Amino acid sequence: MNQKGRLSVAVIGAGLIGVDLATKISRSDRLGLELVVGRDESTPGLRRLAKEGLPVAANGIRSLIERDTPFDVVFDATNALAHPEHAKLLSPFSALLVDLTPSQVGRMVIPTVNGLDALSHRNVNMVSCGGQAAIPVLHAVARNHPIEYAEVVTTAAGPSIGRSTRLNLDEYIETTQDAVREFSGIEDVKVMVNLSPARPPVTFRVAISLLGEELSQESVRAAVDSAAQEMRAFVGGYTVTACTVNGGKAFIAVEVDASGDRIPRYAGNLDIINSAALHVAEQYAAVQLSSAYAETS
Amino acid sequence: MSHVLIHDPTLRDGHHAVGHQLDAAQLRAYAAAADAAGIPVVEVGHGNGLGASSLQVGRARLSDDEMLSVVREALTHSRMGVFMLPGWGRAQDLDKAIAHGADVVRIGTHCTEADLAERHLGHLSERGVEAHGVLLMSHMAGPEQLAEQCARLVEFGACGVGILDSSGHFLPADVTARVAAIRAAVDVPVMFHGHNNLGMAVANSVAAVEAGAEIIDACARGFGAGAGNTQLEVVVPVLERLGHTTGIDLYRLLDATDFAGRELMKVPPTIDSLGVVSGLSGVFSGFKTRVLEISGREGVDPRDVFFELGRRQAVAGQEDLIVDVVAALRSAARDQERHA
Repeated sequence: MNQKGRLSVAVIGAGLIGVDLATKISRSDRLGLELVVGRDESTPGLRRLAKEGLPVAANGIRSLIERDTPFDVVFDATNALAHPEHAKLLSPFSALLVDLTPSQVGRMVIPTVNGLDALSHRNVNMVSCGGQAAIPVLHAVARNHPIEYAEVVTTAAGPSIGRSTRLNLDEYIETTQDAVREFSGIEDVKVMVNLSPARPPVTFRVAISLLGEELSQESVRAAVDSAAQEMRAFVGGYTVTACTVNGGKAFIAVEVDASGDRIPRYAGNLDIINSAALHVAEQYAAVQLSSAYAETS
Repeated sequence: MSHVLIHDPTLRDGHHAVGHQLDAAQLRAYAAAADAAGIPVVEVGHGNGLGASSLQVGRARLSDDEMLSVVREALTHSRMGVFMLPGWGRAQDLDKAIAHGADVVRIGTHCTEADLAERHLGHLSERGVEAHGVLLMSHMAGPEQLAEQCARLVEFGACGVGILDSSGHFLPADVTARVAAIRAAVDVPVMFHGHNNLGMAVANSVAAVEAGAEIIDACARGFGAGAGNTQLEVVVPVLERLGHTTGIDLYRLLDATDFAGRELMKVPPTIDSLGVVSGLSGVFSGFKTRVLEISGREGVDPRDVFFELGRRQAVAGQEDLIVDVVAALRSAARDQERHA
């Protein structure tokens, strides 16, 4: 805990995800952003954050480990290939590690499905933007209907996808597929990703196709609407744009507008994974801060 | 005059025309006929490439493994080509294709997203496989932008680059400008892949060669989605008449394409109304079957659906948008009726 009664927080990575996440954390009542680290000072993201008066450092994870007082929460917004090393270097510390890369090292968390798992694991993984958008719906529909096959196609605007995600596309797909299987119980799962070159850029979108004999328009719609409502509690731009059932096949499309913040509206992919990560860390902080308060009173 | 390398994706892009349902006997016989004609590269797979069989774009009759092993066995001289879109296929699909003896691997991305190919082009170069980088939906970007993107593909390890006119939207002057710009930016062979929505596929391929392209894609009978691709048995003799060499035997080529016309398709591709609309609107013809199905079910004009998809700049792979577009058009029509 820092002097202002918030948990002390660091972010590793100053790409598209890291910069938006830092901006979101800086508004939190429970989380105090104390450091954003990038690879080197010339990174546009680091320079932008420094200009806004946020604390930044170069030299990657080294600057974080070498600090005297350890952090309470560390977000990893680098890439799936770098995360295992980061997790190892941070393991001697007590910080909650929230991983935004599709590394699958930590416990996978979808806030509306198993958000409480973040309270009992030191390393939690936020799956992927597509996973955060699709799994709440898949989980809700699969709870009431046997599903033989699920297919998820995500489409993101080219400018909203940074280099790490481009290099990690295979991991993105594999991690999302594994998470869909784990949280929905559906065994046969396929995930695909489109990057759109359209200008103006298109809004982040996830299209879900399901095969199952018991699927009906009313029951699917009800499950989808209740999942969407829960999502909107922390991702304001989460909208169901299509939900149809025809002959044992359901089709559901979700679009996510980024709301507020300085990322463009179309970049709902950044907004949803960052909002989910923030939500998880804030719930963790609420528990930590209330027990700290109980100890001191 | 120059040598032009003919790359034949009849058994890959042609697959779109039959819902990816070619069987092993069809693949084997066409591959053997193409091999006998001296066609340098025979590309095979699901229409959207390795790993793409799905509800979104259609499930193939055969697995990638089955398709590749059948075609490999049938080829003695021709090289076997495969195609993969990152996001649809993965490195493990590439490894399987290499194990099956794929000689040429194309990694495709949409026209401004060449960076998406970095990892997989690197993966192939590390394994010593001939890797090319190609840009889909290339009408959505200008000559300079395409040239920059192709230069990136070369940096990532591509030893051939080029553009696909996925929607059959280009006119010859568009192709000339784009191929010339790419030619000036890279020192590897440049390819062009045409579609025939506006009847321009052969003319566009000629324009590409005249602007410096060295690899031309063409399919037997133009086998491909909607209006089809550049017609192989037409473009080869046309290029030869212009003084270019292809190394292909004309009669054996005509035999192979006659076989394809008889055995791979019920009818050869034709430029029907939706073919024209798809070319004008800049939307991939592969959307046609689902546009017809969903607009028929909901009572909407499929031509309106294509133009609206074009306005939304839908790219191949975004077939899921059709449902939303049809619903939007239907509710707009109802509003109009109410106010009338």
